[in-house]
Amino acid sequence: MLRAAVEAGADSIYCGLRDETNARNFPGLNFSPDELAEAVAWAHSRGAKVLVAINTFARAGAMGAWRASVDAAAGARADAIIVADLGVLAYAHASHPDLRLHLSVQAAAGSADAINYYEQAYGVRRVVLPRVLAAPEIAGLVRDISIEVEAFVFGGLCVMAEGRCALSSYATGKSPNLSGVCSPPEAVSLEETDGRLTPRLAGFMLDRFPPGAAAGYPTLCKGRFEARGEASYLFEEPTSLNAMGLLAELRNAGVRAVKIEGRQRGKAYVARVAAAFRGALDALDRGETIESYEPLLSNLAEGGRETSGAYRKTWR
Amino acid sequence: MRRGHRFGVEALRRRDRVADRGAADVLMALRRPVESLLSVALRRVARQRPDVFERLGSFQDASFVLAPDELPVAFRLAPRGTSGTVRVARRADPAPCTARIAGPLASLLGLFDGSIDADAAFFSRSIRVEGDIQAVMALHNTLEAAELTLADLLGLAPPASELANAGLRLVLRRVVIRDAAVTRA
Repeated sequence: MLRAAVEAGADSIYCGLRDETNARNFPGLNFSPDELAEAVAWAHSRGAKVLVAINTFARAGAMGAWRASVDAAAGARADAIIVADLGVLAYAHASHPDLRLHLSVQAAAGSADAINYYEQAYGVRRVVLPRVLAAPEIAGLVRDISIEVEAFVFGGLCVMAEGRCALSSYATGKSPNLSGVCSPPEAVSLEETDGRLTPRLAGFMLDRFPPGAAAGYPTLCKGRFEARGEASYLFEEPTSLNAMGLLAELRNAGVRAVKIEGRQRGKAYVARVAAAFRGALDALDRGETIESYEPLLSNLAEGGRETSGAYRKTWR
Repeated sequence: MRRGHRFGVEALRRRDRVADRGAADVLMALRRPVESLLSVALRRVARQRPDVFERLGSFQDASFVLAPDELPVAFRLAPRGTSGTVRVARRADPAPCTARIAGPLASLLGLFDGSIDADAAFFSRSIRVEGDIQAVMALHNTLEAAELTLADLLGLAPPASELANAGLRLVLRRVVIRDAAVTRA
């Protein structure tokens, strides 16, 4: 998948080690330390960078795994690590002063004061913005900070307070913040009867999709529940972020890097999305419009629908 | 052996039309050489790429039923490394399995070589999954990391391997274009 991203034109790839220290701790996914070193060497030979996500929150009294991941990323000569936890940031800053630190979206740092603190205390060089800010708000924020800004532009969306969601934890005992898994697959069941699909998470019925209707991820936040006799999406609709149409605005706002979500997706997805965004960014560089790139990714979206998310707050 | 699931066998039996039953009888009668070919191929991959099976972890002991929509039979995959097997079974085979993945044959082949995005296939309802979702995810992620091709499975050397892979790419491109058209409609 990393190779597919580089070959499709990605400048940097973010990935994780095969344990709870990253927020995509799913079976069969991620790298061993040896595989990571090999992948970094391969990416560097192609002029691409590798950023290692160590972005879950360390457990009290059990920092060993997080410290080992930081050491493994540094040993593999990764270009940066993406971190949310203060303790992990402190360890990395003290133990590997040359290792570039990026602040994960999981840290939910959405104000200049917060971001400047991370820079001053731990030498953080880039912040991945939480997906709660409108494009003009990002422009205002960038004026008050001196580190690089990275923004998500494509992929799944979470309920808005990044790193603070407890829905999966409530239902299954495991969360993306601590265990690296949202809606762990062992708690998911999918039942299809007469073409109607019923996903459940730890026994909670999440929805019932009629025959042929587009489905979403089996997470509580994307569930459709009945309240006061009416079924609706109480938290958020199963929809994917696609901010390709806002690339110029985000660049003008001061965003230095755009991020494509989907580490648990396959190389077909990665190659298509990376190639489309590479093409769109290059077109912008040439002063061309990017309209022709915008419809290229529609059939990859969760629930078959896309949104520009909070970047364009149409509800205001 | 992992806990097995029985999936809507009665419903599947109802769908097993008379014509399908006749075709299934023929395919079941001829299943031995197919099973032998596919099992040998699976074991060859296990010998050549042990890393693939290591990534599966405890799910090497799982049993997956892969059910192409166009065929009246399904394939029962037991990825136990160099002793792995592929068996042909009727679609309505009541034997328990860890997970069942059903969909168009081209989509299943596209999932095998990673040329079709599994999540998009799930969102569009092109593929249907039942049983132990953790096992299905492990299989999917393992295949994605393995970067196997149809030629690897068939044990083909160039130029036959290039022909086989090019043929599969041609078929899958049509599937992607068709799915995109359905989504935009």
